[in-house]
Amino acid sequence: MADFIKNPVVDLPDPDPAPHFSEEELVFTANEKAEIARRIAQYPTSDGAVMWTLWLAQDKFGFLPPEVLRLVAQELERPYAQVYGVATFYTQYYKEKKGTHVLDVCTCFSCQFCGGYDILDYLERKLGIKRGQTTPCERFTLQEVECLGACGSAPMLQVSNGPYAHNLTPEKIDVLLATLENGEPLPFVSLTLPQDEDQMQGNRRSDAEAVEAYQVPPVAKLTS
Amino acid sequence: MPHVIIDGHIYEFEGKPGLLQFCLDHGIELPHFCYHPSMSVPANCRQCLVDVGAPVRDRASGEIQTHEDGNPVIRYFPKLQTSCSHVIADGQVVHTARTSKKVARAQQDTLEFLLINHPLDCPICDQAGHCPLQIQAYKYGPEGSRFEFQKVHKPKKVKLGPRVVLDAERCINCTRCTRFTDEISKSHQLTIIERSVKNYPITPPGVTFDEPYSMNVIDLCPVGALTSADFRFQARIWELASAPSIAPANAKGSNCYLWTRDNLVLRITPRHNPNVNEYWLPDEDRLVYHRFNANRPLGPQVRGAGGTLCEATWDDAFRAAADVLAKAGERTVFIASAFATVEDNWLLLQLAQSLGAEIAGYIEHIEPGHGDGWLRTDDRTPNSEGCRRLGLMPVDAVVLRARLAAGAIGALYVLEDDPIAAGLCSVEDLGDVPVVLHYYNTTNETLHAAQVVLPAAMVAETIGTFVNEDGHAQRVVPAKAIRDTNRTLMMQMGLSRADRHGTPFDRWHNEAHYVNCKPSWELLPEVARRLGVDLQHGGPRRIMRKISEKLPAFEGATYEVMGLQGVLLPERVAEEAPENA
Repeated sequence: MADFIKNPVVDLPDPDPAPHFSEEELVFTANEKAEIARRIAQYPTSDGAVMWTLWLAQDKFGFLPPEVLRLVAQELERPYAQVYGVATFYTQYYKEKKGTHVLDVCTCFSCQFCGGYDILDYLERKLGIKRGQTTPCERFTLQEVECLGACGSAPMLQVSNGPYAHNLTPEKIDVLLATLENGEPLPFVSLTLPQDEDQMQGNRRSDAEAVEAYQVPPVAKLTS
Repeated sequence: MPHVIIDGHIYEFEGKPGLLQFCLDHGIELPHFCYHPSMSVPANCRQCLVDVGAPVRDRASGEIQTHEDGNPVIRYFPKLQTSCSHVIADGQVVHTARTSKKVARAQQDTLEFLLINHPLDCPICDQAGHCPLQIQAYKYGPEGSRFEFQKVHKPKKVKLGPRVVLDAERCINCTRCTRFTDEISKSHQLTIIERSVKNYPITPPGVTFDEPYSMNVIDLCPVGALTSADFRFQARIWELASAPSIAPANAKGSNCYLWTRDNLVLRITPRHNPNVNEYWLPDEDRLVYHRFNANRPLGPQVRGAGGTLCEATWDDAFRAAADVLAKAGERTVFIASAFATVEDNWLLLQLAQSLGAEIAGYIEHIEPGHGDGWLRTDDRTPNSEGCRRLGLMPVDAVVLRARLAAGAIGALYVLEDDPIAAGLCSVEDLGDVPVVLHYYNTTNETLHAAQVVLPAAMVAETIGTFVNEDGHAQRVVPAKAIRDTNRTLMMQMGLSRADRHGTPFDRWHNEAHYVNCKPSWELLPEVARRLGVDLQHGGPRRIMRKISEKLPAFEGATYEVMGLQGVLLPERVAEEAPENA
């Protein structure tokens, strides 16, 4: 965002990009079609299923180039333009190819105060890329994002629209990257609240795979 | 009857009117951008905010609570309401910016937000001068901007399609254009992309905005974000004069304005007529204006001894035409025109009748598959229904060619059409048969075979009546002056600043833009007079009155009744015998 304030230029999307997927690849399986039909039936019109089907397509194809959006529109019998508008509205839908793991580092207000840019800077040096870029091995994409709603455990990051990593330090990042490189799944971590620690063993969620205790947030070193 | 109090004035209403439309209908101005009467109400520009309150009812008794002075207790909505989406209920009290400082401040702040990233393009913007954002910022907006950082730059001069250019920076995201493509034309070719300050309307990748109604979004756009590829940077709006007219590219007779500058038609925009085209105009109707300006004749011509067309005076040309008719007499065949007005065709009927000659009919211009059941029709002429109501039928090409071959035709008198280009007959078919031709453009192929050619005024230059395919009789008024007429003296002509204050000696004035032609309702009586036939009529207004009295198919179609919105004629009886009234 900081770059956009200094240089507020919105680019025109490529009006006619070369397709990434062939005709044979661009199909939903019978199972997927059945699931989409089930989702459509949940809503009065098929508009309601647009976002869910986009998730499905993103899981299947990795990202959402125009030909995939066309496929989604065709499946839902919705205008392609509408599906395209929805896909571009949400940054969580990837319009271009990303790495296997997308690291969304929060640099919004709270995280910035608690060292969000320190974490981003550390990741940039460690991965050898700048924010917004993907490593040559196509394993990691590093992104700077706005508030993810976890200010209590700042600084934090999110991995591929999925699990959060809380209370980040350089050491924790080393462990996190090693885990991701080994292909191990990240647990869903529930963050305890100080006032809960006596009563519920600090965990309000029964479905949490892991628990992390609240800590007093650090203070940012970088002032950029 | 239920009532609503707006700014202290009581208005009665029926049904469930929307507040914004109700105010607009009653002459109360409310600023707005995204609202359009024929589309859904998204309430996303937030410009039409008003303060609305309703009388408080006692919960137990249902009675309206009153103050001690007898006035009802009014409880205001906790927040300002968007009047476009607010449905009026009985007894409600509404305050607009005129009576509420809160509303005035809210509207001013909304405009300040809208203007944060709006570029200061006004000096070069096509919309300047008739721009709702400009007008409303002036009337309701803040005096200056408090935002001193760089504005967001979005793509400029993006060609969305062959006819529409996008300037994304200027967009205020009212979504009128996307709603038009979603709800009205249903082409679904536009969408708003991205979010927050980055969003703007565009086509998705691989799609071109080429639907046949695409140019309507230019009129809908309340700012200069969508402009016409054709008219872009051609003229400032205050230099143009407009005239209410009828679009001539098809038989729907969509109402339009012709915009002229220095006597050239520069653009055509829709004119609201709820019975014909509502607010819309297809692109084909807008792009015909080149015909009015380019390839126009220099004056009347007569084929000389050498076999070439030579320039002649009007008098000589009329005399030559009369000679042709006098020689052929009853063996003359007249061809009416679906491009010409009802009045012109009726005069042609009179002339034919006085000679005892026959009218073969009008030339049909049908393009099968072109129509879409909405504003485009298979018929590419504006007045074929008018011809049929005069008792004229389409010319049978086979019969005509057979009669030409048999030598049964002494002369051909063609009103405002092109029989050779239309495939009715060829130059060889015509042989030595002399042709008198009323024509519009020098591209007319029948010119090669014609003996006498008389330049006729086009729809943009004449006064008359067209009947659309549904039987709506509608008037056209001149937008362009022709040679020897004066824009100011032609009482019905729209005037621009330049027309009022300019002179023929101004640097921008071009005499060549005044075409040396005459309307057919002037040409036909002149030819008739030289044949000893009196066709003096006192102007098209009187002709139409006479037609409406004589022909049941035109009952009630006088200029006074037609006005600017036209009139629906009585149902035409199908087996009506051709009558030469």
